[in-house]
Amino acid sequence: MKETRLGEFEEVILLLVGILGEEAYAFRIAEEFKVQAGRSSSIGSVHSTLERLGDKGFLTSEMGKPGATRGGRRKRIYTITAAGRQALQTSRDFRMSLWNQLPDLAIDKLSLGL
Amino acid sequence: MKKKIAIPPHFATRLLTWFIRDDLAEGVLGDLEEKFLQVAEERSLFLARISYWYEVVNYMRPFAIRKSKHLNPTIMVRHNLLLTIRNFKKHRSQFIINLAGLSSGIACVLFIFLWVTHEFQVEGFHEKEDRLYQLLGNHSQANGIATHYGVPADFLEAIQSEVPEVAHTIAWAPTGEVSVSVDGNYHKTEGLFASKDFFDGFSYRLLKGDPATMLSTKSGIVITQSLSDRLFKGADPIGKAMEWHFSGISQSLVVTGIVEVPKNTDNKFDYLMSWDYYFDDLMQYRGWSEHNALITVVLDAEFSKNIEAVKMVTSKINEVFKVRSSVFQDDFAKEGDENKLEFMLQKYADLYLYDNYENGKVAGGRIQYVHLFILIGIFILFIASINFINLSTAKAIGRTREIGVKKSFGASRGSLVGQYLMESVLLSLLSLAVAIMMVWSLLPYFNTMIQKDLTIGLNMETILMALSIILLVGIVAGSYPAFYLSRLKVLTVLKGKLGGKAGGAWGRKTLVVFQFTLSIILIASVMVVFYQMDYVMHKNLGYDRDNLIYFKREGKLMENHQAFIEEVKKLPGISGATLTQFRAGFYNWTEGVDWPGKTAENSVQFQQFFSGIGQIEMMGLEILEGRGFSSDFNEEQSVIFNETAIAAMGLKDPVGKTIRHYSGEKKIIGVVKDFNPLSLRDKIRPMVYLINPDRANYVLAKLNKGMELATIRKLEALHDTFNPGYIFEPKFVDQDYQQLYESEKQISRLSSLFAALAIFISCLGLYGLISFTTERRIKEIGIRKVLGSSAFGIVYLLSVDFSKMVLVAAVIALPISYLATSSWLENFAYHVDLPWWIFLVAGLGAFLIAWLTVGSQAYKSARINPAKCLKED
Repeated sequence: MKETRLGEFEEVILLLVGILGEEAYAFRIAEEFKVQAGRSSSIGSVHSTLERLGDKGFLTSEMGKPGATRGGRRKRIYTITAAGRQALQTSRDFRMSLWNQLPDLAIDKLSLGL
Repeated sequence: MKKKIAIPPHFATRLLTWFIRDDLAEGVLGDLEEKFLQVAEERSLFLARISYWYEVVNYMRPFAIRKSKHLNPTIMVRHNLLLTIRNFKKHRSQFIINLAGLSSGIACVLFIFLWVTHEFQVEGFHEKEDRLYQLLGNHSQANGIATHYGVPADFLEAIQSEVPEVAHTIAWAPTGEVSVSVDGNYHKTEGLFASKDFFDGFSYRLLKGDPATMLSTKSGIVITQSLSDRLFKGADPIGKAMEWHFSGISQSLVVTGIVEVPKNTDNKFDYLMSWDYYFDDLMQYRGWSEHNALITVVLDAEFSKNIEAVKMVTSKINEVFKVRSSVFQDDFAKEGDENKLEFMLQKYADLYLYDNYENGKVAGGRIQYVHLFILIGIFILFIASINFINLSTAKAIGRTREIGVKKSFGASRGSLVGQYLMESVLLSLLSLAVAIMMVWSLLPYFNTMIQKDLTIGLNMETILMALSIILLVGIVAGSYPAFYLSRLKVLTVLKGKLGGKAGGAWGRKTLVVFQFTLSIILIASVMVVFYQMDYVMHKNLGYDRDNLIYFKREGKLMENHQAFIEEVKKLPGISGATLTQFRAGFYNWTEGVDWPGKTAENSVQFQQFFSGIGQIEMMGLEILEGRGFSSDFNEEQSVIFNETAIAAMGLKDPVGKTIRHYSGEKKIIGVVKDFNPLSLRDKIRPMVYLINPDRANYVLAKLNKGMELATIRKLEALHDTFNPGYIFEPKFVDQDYQQLYESEKQISRLSSLFAALAIFISCLGLYGLISFTTERRIKEIGIRKVLGSSAFGIVYLLSVDFSKMVLVAAVIALPISYLATSSWLENFAYHVDLPWWIFLVAGLGAFLIAWLTVGSQAYKSARINPAKCLKED
């Protein structure tokens, strides 16, 4: 049975794939990650996460069209699957439910304490 | 401004394409290039390059790396293994020959290795081994420098007080065979007198007792566990009383300690007694001209392994000797004598292997045998490896077609190399296992043969050495087929263009010649060793040692020896009896002889024998002039010399002349023909015979032939009535004499075994090669037979090559073995002339054995029915 839960980095990458749409290939994702998260990550590690998400069935990939850039090499474009969307949804719902259980008071006290 | 063209680092790209999964390559290369260009644009080309490298290295992740072409590498290994085993089965006889040859060779080498390490470990257990030195005396004589272990006992005190670089000085001396008794039960044993510091230098293990005090009282004795068991039957001996009997003296002793004597020491003893007792109470003559102590010194810790310090201590000791001995007046000293005695230090641990001295310097000894056997071991390893290499390469040529087929199916060169290397390494590992089993099961026999107690020590070094040698042999043997044959072109191989005469034949021939050269050298040398040993054993040493027995005179026999001798003479079966000091291999020496005309230049040392009346006659020594000792005269003032002594003194008409011995004026009554009391390694020295019943501590008796055993029983009964309690233990002079050659006998036994093995292994190799050749040429043989060739013609065809090789080997080997053996014979003062026929026999023998091996196999194939071998194709 394959592991189907999402790790933190996996979740972010999966979201980025969804955000980037047609432009979701490893280099762009890594760039976008840097812009959005403020920390950088090597293309290799992004790629390995993409591969893992593919194995879990949350992503599919196919080669794009050759263009003028990149020495005519094609890009591998990733697309989020229904299962991927489901997993993101589950993850968000789970967090929301946790957030909802967090007493406001506790947060106030904490703020007061600061 | 010229814009630099931004291209990703070439090597990084190549590295990436080398390892990256093919299906990922395009996308990844594109991504990385995009990033590279972006960084180059925004930052700098240099940073872009660095980031490119960083990204490439970051792609070295399991998911991205290309999987091996063979989906499962173990399949290839299993395939190779299967092929290897099938090949072994298919060529079963060659496989067995190969295995037998290599494993018996390795077994030999392992045996030699065990023996050699044992030899090197003798005396190695002393913790202060690196600063333990033995004091030796070099005596310059008219007939050369004589080196003696015995040195003046006064050195003990002198070195202790005057040489500060020496931490401990130990004086010791063997007591010889004595009797010890507890409650009237007598046992024979041997031990040492040892001074208090004995345990500060030597690391014999103390089981009980206080090392500081146990040798400090004259009545103390430290015994071994085995002597304790004999005397006290298992009870704790500490504090118990025992008697010690030496000649006529009996001394009461108390056991103060138990010591353990390890196997790997050359200095074996059953007990230790107080040096002070020996020095104060037993020594008859003392002073700087009496050499009756063994002195071992322990240098200070800071001088360990310091040759300069040893030199300095040596010169200090010599200085001490000069100063101290000049006070002491020696009647026999001549002017110019001061420089005639010089002392030197030799490392104590080296005494065992380097015990031969020439001109006052260490000149080999047992170490020569150790080197000899290391050489033999290397020879045998060579011979066995050559076999293995020859057979493997020869066999591999027969498998070129297999290589062709495999290659045409796409086998890579690497996999072929792997297969052949694995095959030969596997076989060599297998023979190592077989060899270890052989050694393990044969070790007891080997131990009896060399009279040692070797065990297989499994330390890391031994294992690593054995493994690396065997891997080397395996890789060398496998490398010809692995690297040469795997390079061949598929087409040539499959067309069969590469016939039996393919490369490697020359190399193989050279190796066979080399192999037989080594074997012939071994055979010739062993024959010479045997010939010399036979000569030594049967050479007339100038005295008749047959049926001559001797035993120790002690207890009551010290007093009433005359009556005893008379009674012994009356026994039937005894043809003569007398007192003697003579034993084969032992002698006393003295410089205390003065004759008219003696100068510092012509002074010599004499071997001195205190004899009884009739001893000279019983030993069958011929009296050349004058007469022997006789009971008709009072012989106290008489002396007899041997020929060599008379010549050394330069006396004319010696009989009737008077000389001065340290025990008084003596008249020469006779001259005796030379005989050799030692072994043939030693020259005959000047000898002096005197009558002195007090110092002639043995009884010598001559038995009549035929009833020796019954006579010895009667002798024992007589001994027991005269000397109740003491043990009667007679020894044959001849056996003692044989004992002197024990190491030579061991060497000759061992080397003959190894020589036989060498020729056996060589012949196995030849046998393997010839059977391989005939197998390959079987069709040729069939066709020749069909065309009318005789069986002899075919035998000739097959064996002529091999005969030539052995002949060449003989031509190379014989001169080498001549040189080697003649230098070995130089070790003997008396040796055979090297007979030329030995070399002829060795050469012809090797040739004959080789020819028989080859010929029998060739004859077998020559008789084959041509229809059988030609029916295929």
